Amino acid sequence: MLLTLSWLVPLVGALLLLLVGNADGRRDGMIRWLALGVSLIAFAVTLGVWAAFDPASAEFQFVERHSWIPQFGIDYFVGIDGISLLLVVLTGFLTPIALLSSWGSIERKVKEFSIFILALEAAMVGVFISLDLFLFYVFWDAMLIPMYFLIGIWGYDRRVYAAIKFMLYTMAGSVLMLVAILGMAYLHSAATGSYTFDLLKLYSLDIAPQTQMWFFLAFTLAFAIKVPLFPFHTWLPDAHVQAPTAGSVILAGVLLKMGTYGLLRFSFPLFPEAAAYFAPWLALLAVIGIIYGALVAMVQPDMKKLVAYSSVSHLGFVVLGICAMNTQGMQGAVYQMLAHGVSTGGLFLMVGMLSDRRHTRLIAEFGGLKTVMPQFTAAFLIMTLASIGLPGLNGFVGEFLIMLGAFRWAPAFAVAAGLGVILSAVYMLWMFQRVFYGPVTHEANETLTDLQPREWAGVLPLCAMALVMGVFPTIFLKPMEASVDALVLRMQATQTVQVEIPVDRRPDDERRLTTVTERVARR
Amino acid sequence: MPETLIFYALSGFAIGASAMVIGQRNPMYSVMMLIASFGALAGLYVQLDAPFVAVAQIIIYAGAIMVLFLFVVMLLNAPKEDGSEWDRSHPLRQPAVVRLGGLLASLLVVQLGWALLSARGLGGGVAAFGDAETVSSVRVLGRVLFSEYVFAFEATSILILVAMVGAVVLARREGEGS
Amino acid sequence: MMDTPFNAVVPMLCVVFAALAVMMAEAFRGRDEQMALGGLGIVGLVGAAVSSMLLWNRNASSFGVIVADNFGLFVTMTLVIVGVLTIMFSSVVVRRDGLPAGEYYALVLFAVVGMIMMATANDLLVIFIALEILSLAVYVLTGIRRDDPRATEAAFKYFLLGAFSSAFFLYGIAFTYGVSGSTRLDRIGAFLAAQSMSDSPLILVAIGMLLVGFAFKISAVPFHMWTPDAYEGAPAVVTGFMSTGVKAAAFAAFTRVFLSAFEPFSVDWAPMIWILAVATMILGTVVGVAQTNVKRMLAYSSIAHGGYLLVGLIAANDVGKAAILFYLLAYAVTNVAAFGVIALLGTRDAANDELRDFSGLWHGRPALAALMTVCLLSLGGLPPTAGFIGKWYIFSAAVSAGYYGLAIIGVLTSVVSVFFYLRVVVMMYMEERDPGLAAPAHVGGVGMVALVASIVVIFYLGVLPTRVLDLAAESISTIF
Repeated sequence: MLLTLSWLVPLVGALLLLLVGNADGRRDGMIRWLALGVSLIAFAVTLGVWAAFDPASAEFQFVERHSWIPQFGIDYFVGIDGISLLLVVLTGFLTPIALLSSWGSIERKVKEFSIFILALEAAMVGVFISLDLFLFYVFWDAMLIPMYFLIGIWGYDRRVYAAIKFMLYTMAGSVLMLVAILGMAYLHSAATGSYTFDLLKLYSLDIAPQTQMWFFLAFTLAFAIKVPLFPFHTWLPDAHVQAPTAGSVILAGVLLKMGTYGLLRFSFPLFPEAAAYFAPWLALLAVIGIIYGALVAMVQPDMKKLVAYSSVSHLGFVVLGICAMNTQGMQGAVYQMLAHGVSTGGLFLMVGMLSDRRHTRLIAEFGGLKTVMPQFTAAFLIMTLASIGLPGLNGFVGEFLIMLGAFRWAPAFAVAAGLGVILSAVYMLWMFQRVFYGPVTHEANETLTDLQPREWAGVLPLCAMALVMGVFPTIFLKPMEASVDALVLRMQATQTVQVEIPVDRRPDDERRLTTVTERVARR
Repeated sequence: MPETLIFYALSGFAIGASAMVIGQRNPMYSVMMLIASFGALAGLYVQLDAPFVAVAQIIIYAGAIMVLFLFVVMLLNAPKEDGSEWDRSHPLRQPAVVRLGGLLASLLVVQLGWALLSARGLGGGVAAFGDAETVSSVRVLGRVLFSEYVFAFEATSILILVAMVGAVVLARREGEGS
Repeated sequence: MMDTPFNAVVPMLCVVFAALAVMMAEAFRGRDEQMALGGLGIVGLVGAAVSSMLLWNRNASSFGVIVADNFGLFVTMTLVIVGVLTIMFSSVVVRRDGLPAGEYYALVLFAVVGMIMMATANDLLVIFIALEILSLAVYVLTGIRRDDPRATEAAFKYFLLGAFSSAFFLYGIAFTYGVSGSTRLDRIGAFLAAQSMSDSPLILVAIGMLLVGFAFKISAVPFHMWTPDAYEGAPAVVTGFMSTGVKAAAFAAFTRVFLSAFEPFSVDWAPMIWILAVATMILGTVVGVAQTNVKRMLAYSSIAHGGYLLVGLIAANDVGKAAILFYLLAYAVTNVAAFGVIALLGTRDAANDELRDFSGLWHGRPALAALMTVCLLSLGGLPPTAGFIGKWYIFSAAVSAGYYGLAIIGVLTSVVSVFFYLRVVVMMYMEERDPGLAAPAHVGGVGMVALVASIVVIFYLGVLPTRVLDLAAESISTIF
């Protein structure tokens, strides 16, 4: 029941908000507080799930199963494992922050805005916990509708174009996944006589390699568009730039993770042979995305677009880690998903604050903000360094593990990815320098206010998270260990080369470094 | 013997009337001639022991369809054809067209002749088709209509009702009450 | 041989009596007396619904030609729902535009009679008569606004092409009779099953002609030319009625004829319908993108939906047949509601059905905008609406039968269609109202009730479809 509550609470909150009459905007304040309250309750629920989660088990926990549409073999089947647990908590964590950020910038139709954000949260959580392919698809598509409205109504000047592009692009990929889902259910019924969309049953289905290829491609296309993987990334810059701040935070923080989550949960485990076959190609695209994203980010005059392309770059790392199909790679991938959510979410949050004050996002319009807004600068610096991957902050852990895993699998990719790390430092620090250092060139910048308490309430948790995740990574690595190990085992069982997985029981803070030295010593 | 005479009379009348349909200058006369040829055909049907078809021919074809023809002709106020307008430059008088027409006509004659000649062997075949009573007798028809096809028959009454309502709705003048 | 029990005809009779009652009431109505003629119609339709529910699982048959099996009863229920919604929306339009109320409602009810007859008929001749009943009534309804030249043109085009296609249909029936000696579907089926080895050209011609007749009625490409003009010219409520009821009845008869009587020859007609389905889905979607008139756009969207239904027909397995039934219900409710919104937005002089008439609707009439959005999302096949479940059902039928190509084309055209549905949403939510336009009309009680009821049904079918799916599955086991 707890797991269902995690998406039911925001949805019920959204429906209740519908009943509040707010035609002339009188009740804006009350609605904002209500929405924030609901999202905080939802966050508390996710924390409760985490608290009761058993990290030692690789099985799905908090499983709930009810028969929903028996004629189709569809059940309401949800559950959570190490991989999805943290993503659900991330969702619960970012939604209140996004809502808080909108208090200053969204003035019209506040009620509808809050409803859409809460509905979006419900759909996102639903995606992460669904274990029935039909249910997953329902949440996946349902997530598009509130996001479309959020971008299209409260966005910036080219919002309608961006919203439609976002919707159609994503839908085009996902409908092919729909055909593949139907095909899988049919194959399962042909093989075993029972027509079902139950993921766990479908995991054990043996599919011919040729068919596997097609299904893998169909699923992966849908996810690749969401990641976004080069060259399916062209919807992202428009969507990010045109979306309102809260929308960008959620889009970057959570929505993009659904693509990589899909690869981990569906594409790779359901079609292991096809995945092994296509992994090098996916990794190639990922590496191209890393470098391309970084290069394009470097030349952007618009801060939001720069951060958007940096997302393309960072999520390329995640895909690379997944393709490595070993423990380090996959753990790093999941960790990087969380880290990216925090750091890029924070970056969008603060860029949004700047654009609220000056109504522009162009770097050239700023300069020398360090003297005017010192606290803001400090927070922005933390986010920037976290995004770059400085040791001590969360970005480092994820990227390091990914590069380790990638190096073990295909060194060339790791080297290229390393190049991406350097490039990300270049563009982020350069932007930081242009915006915050130097003299104050524009008059308007001299009167900017520093962080307000409301804004602190959003920024502080993110900064704190960046630090905690960087210094105490085991808190977040522990829950996902068992599930990732199980996944890696499943992937490697189908590969011809058996690679041993050291099951490490030493104290966690020693673990990472000593594993490397042990490997080197063993060789 | 009288039957053969009546047959030749009716068919001759029908052929003559049909020829006059295309030969008349005034379209109104053409329509009248067509009705006359239908009447002759009805007579032929009666001779073939198919009274129902004959009556149906008169009621439906000559009654309803030809009335529609007349309406259209009168509505369009089709003028009399003036033969003097057909000078050499008229498309239908071009040599190629005339030759093609002649070719088609002769083909038709040849085919007709062949069909008639090869059907000669079937001359006595009418009887071989069995008792005409069972096929087209009005009594049998009526019985079948009210037993096997009774639902279709009654449903047709709804169809006619709908048609009437529709016609009234579409055709009534503005400003009239219900 | 007569089967005396009248049971199977009772639903039809209820509606007939209601229609006759409406005509009588109209005849006795005083000049300006207000009469709830629509209410009379709804009473009759409710009677039909109740009798259908009582007849469920009984497999009653009357006169040997009307068989009220579950399949026909399911479609009857769908038609009753369409009829009730149409009458509810019409009550607003009739009063506003000064249409002849008695004749209007009588024609609507008679059309419903024709549709029910077509869905439950077991005999080709009765199907034809039913086809004519509903067609004549709908032709007149299309042109009932006599002072609107668009309407008259639409009615004329529809009538001309419809008469032509009916002739084809009748010719096909004649050939079928000539080949098999009967017009009863079961006897034809038995005869053809015995004949399936010999590929008689006469049978193929008969199939082709019948296919043309049916394809015209369901607006399959390339027999769809009348649809955009007819739908655009007719009053919006009538268009909603046409696009759903006629399609439902035609598909019911189509399914019955081709999947039970002509089933032995499926290897001959399946490829033809495959081509029809693909062409219909693609053309309906692609041309719909270019439209600026919302009614015309929805007309093309109806064409595309006919294509999806044809996919279910081709799949021809149990899932496919049940999918057709469910999809018809989902599509019918959604489309009537969408056209209802357009009807409610119009005035006596202006149809208000261009895209720009929807601009900024959210600010003026938020409830109406939200309801229209739900309808459009359902037409596009987005969860959690009825349209999504319907498409899921149809495409899973296609995949189960191995028609992956059809499924892929189907889903891709769905995505493209979302584009033009979203255009209306964009207009309503993301554009400001063009100041040159009049404020959107105020929407009254009955219309809103009908809309809200439709939305409830859409969500019910989208989230808890189990019960209805059960009914659909039950419906096909009796005849096929």
